[in-house]
Amino acid sequence: MSHLLEVKGLSIRFGGVQAVNKVDFHADPGEIVGVIGPNGAGKTTLFNIITGFYSPDEGTMTFDGHNISGLKPNALTRLGMARTFQSVRLFNAMTVLENAMVGQHTRTKAGVWGALTRSKRTRAEEDHIRERAREALAFFGDRLSGREDALASDLAYADRRRLEIARAMATDAKLLLLDEPAAGMNPAEKEGLISQIGRLRSDLGYSVIVIEHDMPVIKSVSDRVVALDHGEKITEGSYEEVSTNKQVIEAYLGKAAEGSHL
Amino acid sequence: MMSARSRSIRQGLIAGAIVIYLGLVGMLVAFDARAIITGVLNFATVLIAITFVGFAYLSGNRGKNRAPAQPAITAGITAGTVAGATVAVFSLVVNFLIETLGWNVRNMFTSISDPLIEFFSFGQSTIVGALLMVVFGLVAGLIGGSLHLLSNTYRKVVVMGFAASVFGALGAPLFKVMLDGLNIPNRWLFERDGLTLIGAIILFVVFGAARLGSERVGGPRQALLKVPGTTEKNIRWVITALALFGMAVLPWIVNDFVSDVLGFVGLYILLGLGLNIVVGFAGLLDLGYVAFYAVGAYSVALLTARSSTLVGGAVTSPAAAGYTNFWVAIPITIVIAVIIGVAIGAPVLRLRGDYLAIVTLGFGEIIRTLVLSDWLKSTFGGPQGLTEVASVPFFGLNTRDPQILYYLIYAFAGLALFISYRLKTSRVGRAWAAMREDEDIAEGMGVSVIKYKLLAFATGAAVGSLGGAFFAAKLSVANPGSFTLLVSINVLAVVVLGGIGSIPGVVVGSLVLVGLPELLREFGEFRLHIYGAILIAIMILKPEGLIPDKRRALELHQGDHQPEKGMLSAAATEGVQ
Repeated sequence: MSHLLEVKGLSIRFGGVQAVNKVDFHADPGEIVGVIGPNGAGKTTLFNIITGFYSPDEGTMTFDGHNISGLKPNALTRLGMARTFQSVRLFNAMTVLENAMVGQHTRTKAGVWGALTRSKRTRAEEDHIRERAREALAFFGDRLSGREDALASDLAYADRRRLEIARAMATDAKLLLLDEPAAGMNPAEKEGLISQIGRLRSDLGYSVIVIEHDMPVIKSVSDRVVALDHGEKITEGSYEEVSTNKQVIEAYLGKAAEGSHL
Repeated sequence: MMSARSRSIRQGLIAGAIVIYLGLVGMLVAFDARAIITGVLNFATVLIAITFVGFAYLSGNRGKNRAPAQPAITAGITAGTVAGATVAVFSLVVNFLIETLGWNVRNMFTSISDPLIEFFSFGQSTIVGALLMVVFGLVAGLIGGSLHLLSNTYRKVVVMGFAASVFGALGAPLFKVMLDGLNIPNRWLFERDGLTLIGAIILFVVFGAARLGSERVGGPRQALLKVPGTTEKNIRWVITALALFGMAVLPWIVNDFVSDVLGFVGLYILLGLGLNIVVGFAGLLDLGYVAFYAVGAYSVALLTARSSTLVGGAVTSPAAAGYTNFWVAIPITIVIAVIIGVAIGAPVLRLRGDYLAIVTLGFGEIIRTLVLSDWLKSTFGGPQGLTEVASVPFFGLNTRDPQILYYLIYAFAGLALFISYRLKTSRVGRAWAAMREDEDIAEGMGVSVIKYKLLAFATGAAVGSLGGAFFAAKLSVANPGSFTLLVSINVLAVVVLGGIGSIPGVVVGSLVLVGLPELLREFGEFRLHIYGAILIAIMILKPEGLIPDKRRALELHQGDHQPEKGMLSAAATEGVQ
C-alpha cells in the first residue's frame, strides 16, 4: 500500500542551525504516528514544512499521490491536510461555531456574487457549512456544542485545544497533524484526549500524526513512534522499541530521568 | 492610595484649571454672547457650571480601589469650592499683575481681556467678584455632591432633562429652521438663538419624564413590547420604516446648507463603508484610501466633463460627443477602481500592519501627485483639475440641488450598506475575519490569503470610488486639492470612531465626524477645538467605537468582570498570548 504522506531527505537550515536534517518520514492511511524528541529537536519545524508554512531547502514530499513540494498551506488544506498549533491559535474574536465554519472554506465555493444575491445554492451551502461545523464540534460532546456562540477567546484552555482539533476536522481532512494536543491538560483531560484521538481514527477514519511530550499519551495512541533529535531522525518503531532505544534514552528519556520534568 | 480629601481637592483644581483654560483661549468670552435661555442664562456660564458640577460629582464617586469616600456632599462641596477658589485666585492674580504691577499680560495671553475679567468677577469689583466665584463653586459643588443622593434612575432623569435643554438651545438655529420648514409654530420654544424660559422647562420636563418612563420599564424597547400585539420583529420594521421616512423628508424640512452637509455625510458613509471592508473586515490598515476617492472622481470627470480631453481635444470629449453620462460612467468607474485596487493591492500582499499602512500611504500620495503632475496635465488638467463635470441626469431633475442629490447619494449609500451586510455575514466575510484574526492560521485553514486580500482591496475600492464619483458630480469639478492625505485620515477616523468593522458605526461615525464640524460652524474659531475635545472624550469613554462590532466590544471588555483588572491589564494579557 502506498503511503498517505511520504517525505524524503527533508532538510531546512535557519542561519547556522540545521533545524531539520535529511529526515525520511511517512504516514499510512489509518495510522497514528507519534513524533517525539526533546525541545528543539525539530518536531514543530517538521510540521511547518509538511503543512507548507516553511519551504524546505532539500527533500521531496508527496501526499495522497500528489507532489506537494512548494504548495502553500491553503492548497494543502484542500488536498486534505489539517493541523493544530503548539501555542493554541484560534480566531479569537470569532465565535466557536464560526471558527469551525472557517474550516469548511476550501470545501465550499460561494464568492462575492453568491454573498450578495444569497441565492438558493449559497444558502444551501451555508447550511451545509454550519452543519458540518456543528458535527465537528459535537465530536467533543457538549463542551463545544454547548458554547457555539461564545467567543473562542472565552473558552477554557483545554476547550481551546479541543476547538483547534474540531476546526481541523471541519476541513474534511484525511490527515490531522496535532502539535502537542495534551499540553496544559490535567490527567482526566489527557485520558479523554487519548480516547478521542483513538476515535478520530476508528470512528472517523482520519490518519493522525501527533507531536507530544507526554509519554503516556504517545504510548496509548501511537501505532508507530518517530524520534527526532537535533533535526535528525534517530529511530522509529513501536513505542516499546523506541522507548528502549539507547539513543532516545540518552537524548530524551535520560534527561527526563534526571530532571523529571516530563 | 490617595485620601478622599486630597482627591476632592485634586478634582477641584482640575475643574478650576479647565475653566481658566477655557477663558485663556477666549471661549468663555465668545460664548458669553451665546444664549441658552435667552436673557437669563448664557452658554459660558453653563459651561463653567457643567465643569464644576461634573468634577464635584466625580469627587464623590466611590473609586474602585480607593478608600471609602467621605460623604459625597462634603466631597462635592470641597471640590466645588476649590474649583471656584482656583478661578478666583486666577482673577485676583491677573488683576494684581495688571493694576498694581502694570504688566501687560495681554502681550502673551491675548484673550485676557476686560470682558473676561468682568465675566470671572460677575461684573462686580475684584474682591467681591472673587468671593462670588468661590460661592458659585460652593453651590455648584453642593449640586454635584447632591447628585449622589439621587437614585441611579433619577440621576439619569436629571442629566437627560438638562442635556435636552442644553442641546435644544445649542441646536436652536437648526431646529428652528426645521420647525419652520414643517410650519410648526415655535415662538414659545425659541427666542432668537436660544430657548425661552418656558421652552427650557418644557424640554427638561418632557425629556426627563420620557427617560423616567423608559427607565421604569427597562428601556424604550421593553416599553413598546408591553403594548399588546407588538413583537421584536414588527418593532424593528416600524423603526426602519420611520427612519426611512425621516430620511426621505429630511431635506425638505432643513435648508439647503444642511442638505448639502447631509450630502457630504453620505459621501463619507460611502467612503467609510468601503474602507471598513478593507480595514474592518479584512484587517488591512490602508492609509491611502483617498486614492479610490480620487479614482472615482477623476474617472467620472474624464468620462463626463466637457473639459475632458480623453479622446483628444475638447470637441471630441466623450461627453461632448454624447457618448457618456453619469450612469454610463459609473460602471466604468467601478471597473477602473477595481483594477487600480488590485494593482495597489498586489505589491503589498506580503506586507502586514505598520508596513502595509506606510506603503498604502505612499500609494495614496502617488495618485494625487500623478493627477497633479505636468506630465499628465493634458489628461487630468494639473492643479486646476477637470472642471465642468456633468451633473447626474435623473429624470430631468436638477441634481445640482443638494436636496435632490441627497436622495441619489443615500440610495447608493443604502446599496453599499446592503453589500457590506451581505458580505460580512457570508463565507467571504468569514474568510476575511479569519485573515484579520490570524493571517497564517487562516491560510492554514485553507483561506487563500492572496485572493482574499485582493478581493478586499477591490471591493473596498469599488465602494469608495462611488463616493468619488458623486463628489465630482456634486461639485462639478475634480481637482487634486480635494484628495489629500487628510481625507484618508478622516475616513479612517470615521471607521475607528464608529467602531472598527461595525456597519452602523460607519453611519454614526460619518454623522459625528463630518456632520458635527459643520453644525459647529456657529462656534467659529473654536469649532475644531470643541470637535477635538469631543473626539478625545468619545475615544476615552468608548474606545471600542460608538456602535461597536459585537465581537470587538466583547474582546475589549473581557477584563471588566474581574474587578481588579482594568482595560490596561486586559490588553497586556492579550498581548502576551
